[in-house]
Order: sequence, then structure tokens, then C-alpha cells
Amino acid sequence: MTQRKDCPNSHSSSQSKRQSGNLVSQEEDDDSTFTQPSTLQVQRGLEKLTTAQVDQKTAEVVQYFLVKDQKKIPVRRADLVKHVVKDYRNIYPEIIKRAARVFDQVFGLKLVEIDAKNHMYILINKLEKVDGASPIKSPANPKMGLLFVILGVIFMKGGVVRENLIWNTLKKLRVDSGEKHEEFGDVKKVITDEFVRQRYLEYVRIPHTEPIEHEFRWGQRADMEVSKAKILEFMGELHEQDPQSWTQQYKEAHSVPSSTQPGTSSQR
Amino acid sequence: MKRTRGGGDEEAPRQNGSVGRKKGDPQQSEADDGGSTLGPADLQDDDNDPGLRREIRSKYRDLINSVQQNREDMLSPSNNKLTEVLEEANKLFKDVRQAREAALDAQLLVVATDLGKEKASQLFAEGTAFDHIAFAERLLSFMGLNRLEDGEDDQQNRGGIDGYLPKDAWHRVARRAESCFMTAPAFHYMMGSFHAEPPPPKQKIERQRKAPSKEAARIMPTQLKKMEGSHQEATEKEVERILGYLKSYYQDDPTSPISYYEFVIDPNSFSRTVENIFHTSFLIRDGLARMYLDDDKLPCIAPVEEGEVEAGGSWSRKQCIISISPKIWRELIDAFDIRDTLIQPQNTQTE
Repeated sequence: MTQRKDCPNSHSSSQSKRQSGNLVSQEEDDDSTFTQPSTLQVQRGLEKLTTAQVDQKTAEVVQYFLVKDQKKIPVRRADLVKHVVKDYRNIYPEIIKRAARVFDQVFGLKLVEIDAKNHMYILINKLEKVDGASPIKSPANPKMGLLFVILGVIFMKGGVVRENLIWNTLKKLRVDSGEKHEEFGDVKKVITDEFVRQRYLEYVRIPHTEPIEHEFRWGQRADMEVSKAKILEFMGELHEQDPQSWTQQYKEAHSVPSSTQPGTSSQR
Repeated sequence: MKRTRGGGDEEAPRQNGSVGRKKGDPQQSEADDGGSTLGPADLQDDDNDPGLRREIRSKYRDLINSVQQNREDMLSPSNNKLTEVLEEANKLFKDVRQAREAALDAQLLVVATDLGKEKASQLFAEGTAFDHIAFAERLLSFMGLNRLEDGEDDQQNRGGIDGYLPKDAWHRVARRAESCFMTAPAFHYMMGSFHAEPPPPKQKIERQRKAPSKEAARIMPTQLKKMEGSHQEATEKEVERILGYLKSYYQDDPTSPISYYEFVIDPNSFSRTVENIFHTSFLIRDGLARMYLDDDKLPCIAPVEEGEVEAGGSWSRKQCIISISPKIWRELIDAFDIRDTLIQPQNTQTE
């Protein structure tokens, strides 16, 4: 399907940005053999392909993302290249650029690289939410409520909390990590496994703790997808307080747009 | 190890920038007092007295435990328990002589420092304190918690907590919280995806094969019961009659195979031929007759000896469908030169 002779990048590992690899998995190997082609290489690659071919490949990438996004697990560049882009890897940046444009113009979604080191992407919603309840009466996913509680507490507590604080808060809300919950099932698994894999949360071990304890932080997806300002607003409503009364949190939520808050165009 | 308050002077000064007390003030230094009033002999005793050593270590362990067990308590900004623990430790430290005790002291410091760090992060800054328990209570109200009047509670609760949550509690939270998230809506094909179902399993066929022999006897009667009396009996009788013909022809000459077509075809009537085929098929089905191909690949029929076939048929059963049209019927008559029917029509049969 492609007319060029051979791929210049498939075996080059000299510019690999991977860290020393005793943890090298199959995917990382593939990723290390993929180096971002230069602009010149991309241009040359494009010359040898028809518009239709590039469009087709872009469409395949878009479809791959849309389906992968159902589970909200970030897409790794290595998988994308291996399964979809394949021979077109020499024009990879161009394909990503076009795919991002399709997401933006057709779907109102933003393609974001949440991890510049490991090259992982997610899709987030570009459209501003209408104030008040959403016009779509589709049933809300209760897990989102659970996530809100956890992210909210972490944020209000300065960005890091020990896991016990979360478990205690949830216990008060009748969600016991040791028991099966009516709505969420294996709560511990949902929180420490599913939410972590989706990159909503980070669950890291605290060194020197006996018995082993972890702490929770916001994950890379949460940084992109969740609005601290809106969380603070909800907190204000709940506590019947002005959001500004939490000065530190307010400052953080309304700080000069760093690339980490939603609502800013942060295409890396 | 130096702390911000107190601290022995007998150690080499290791002040990590902490102010402590003024250096030129020996009178207030507890350690100095202790050190100067005791004579060398006493020091020796203290050093080696195992009872005292154990006591010191035990006290350290108590302190460490109290910090670990009463963690939540110590974290509360309303008290100074942590400071009290440190003061205790300070006092103990002056009696420390051996490495074992010092190690415990170090361990206590790690635990206390940890707690101190957490306490500090709790404070965070003026006016930004966030009580997660109060938050949980407010959220419960938001969820629609039905707080009952009396303290003791009923079926649905964990002990002691009053009220019960409505079923859609978490949905309410999710709905309100949705606006905080810029989640991309999940993409699904509107009509679902193509889901190929495998063909029905072959087991069904086998079961049907094994059942008929048992049920056949039963099926015939039930069918016959449903039909009008004359028809049922007629079919049954006819089948038996044909079996009789088959057997008698076979006995006439067991070695000579009976051609199937010659057997069933009535050259005078097409409809009777069809009926003959129909009735003969019952014989085959019930295992009373068998069909086979002879050397010329022409179908032949022969009765089955009693005892040859077990009920349930361990023989391999085959199905075949025979079709006949008037044209084929005539062709067969010509081909086999059938002049007369082997199965005599009954007088009661209607054409």
C-alpha cells in the first residue's frame, strides 16, 4: 500500500530516549526502535504517498483511538505504531497531526499526550460544559461520583494524601474497601487498579512504612480532564462556603494556565 | 541527636541549626547537673546496670508504640501530644549509653518526624484547613441520606450509623460531579457490532437419532390417536401388509435381491406408487427393512431378520430423500420393465 522502498527508522535505536532497561517489556522494545522522524523525513515520506492513502491511515488511527477510549485506558504510541501506523511510521507526526485535527473538528475532542516520556495519549472533551445539569439525560456513571470524592479530597488536602485517609472518608460514605459494595463491587480494585490504569489516580508506595502504606495523588489523566476550579465550586456549595475562603486551593485552581489544566490547548 | 528543646551537652554538639538553649548556661542544663554531680563510680554502675538499660529501652518502646497507636489523636491540631512525647524522649535520652538504646531513640525520631510532617501538611496554611470527615457528612446529606430520629438502627445499616442511603445516592453525586470532568464520551457503534453466532451444535442431531427407536413406538400411537381412526389404522395396517409382502418375496428367494423400484412401483397408478414409497419408509425407519445398493448401484430392499437389529440402532443410520415425479415414474417403468405391481392394492384404498 505504500510506495516507498524501506523504512529508515525501523532499526535505529541510537536516539532512543529510554532509560536503562532492566524493565524492558515487549512494547518498550518496539517503542525504542521507533524514533520520531525529522520534518525532512516526513516531507519526503509524504511526497511518495497519495492524499487518499494518508487520509485512509489517518482514519484508521482515529477509529483505533475511539474504540480504545471506551475503556479510558491511555493509548501507547508503541501500540499505535505497531498495530495501525505500521509502514507509515516515517510520517507518523503528520498522521498524528491530522488525526488531532479530525478529533477537533469532527468530534469536538482533544488528543492529548499525557506522558511525554512514555508517549501515551488520551482523548478529552473540548466542549465547554453548560452550567448546570447536562442537557443529555443519559444516566451518570456512579464511578464518576466515587472518583470525584477521591480527587476532591486529594486536591483539598494539598495534592497528596495517605491511603488511610481516603479509606476512612469512603467508609464514612458507606463504601468499605474490605467489603463488596453494591454499586462498585471490589472497591479496592476499582480504585487502586482501574482508576490507576486509566491514569485518574496515582497510587505510590511510601518508603519505610511498616506495614506498607501508599499515598494517592492525581493522575496524569485527571490533570488534563478534571477542573480544579469546578471541584472547588462544588465543595463551596456543599460546605456553604465561598470557594475563595480556601485561599491556597483557590489560588491553585485559578493559577495562570499551566499546561496541566483543562481549557488550555496543550498539544505537546 | 539534638532537639530544639533541651538536650545533653555531653554529646559533641550536633546542632542542625536548631537554637536550643544558650551555651553559656550550665545551671539549666540537666545533663550537666547529672554529669557533674555523679562520681565516676556511679557512672560506671549506670552504664552497666542491665536493669536500668532494660528500663530505658522499654520506655522508648512505649513511646514509639504510643505514637503509632494513637496516630489520629496525635495528628489533631487541638493538642500538643506530639510535643509531650518529644519531651519525654529528651528526658530519656540523657540516660542513653549504649548503641541499642540510641537505635531506639533514632527509631522514635523517625516516627515522630513523620507524624510532624503530616501534622504540618495538615495545617497547610491559614484558612485552608479541610476536614475530610465533615466533607463526608455533607456529602451524605447531598446524597439524600435519610437520617432517622432515633439513634438505634434497623436492618440496613452498619452498626451505629443512623439513616440509610437511597439507591441512587452515588448517581446523584456523579451527576453533579460530571461537570467537573471533561471526559470524552465513549464511542459505541449505534447498532452494535456484527456478532456471528456459531451454527447450532451437532449434539442435537445425535440425540434425535438415539431417541426415535424408543419413542417410535410411542410416537406412532400418539399420532394415530390424533388422526381419525380410519386413517391411522389404515396406515398401520398398510405398513404391516407391505412388510408381509416384503417378507414373503424375500423368503421365496433369499439370495436374489429385491429391487426397490420394482417393489414400490405400481405401473397402474402413480399415486399408489407414492403411497407405497411412503409406507415402505416406515419400515426402513423402524429398522424392519433395510435398503442397500447392489453391485450395479441400484437400490435394493430386504427385510431385517429378527434379532439382527437391536433397538436403539447401533447400526449407522443414514437418511435419504426420495423424490418421484410422474415422468420419472414412467421412465422407471420402462427401464425396469415393470409389468405388474408387487404390492397389491387393498380393496378399501381410495385412488
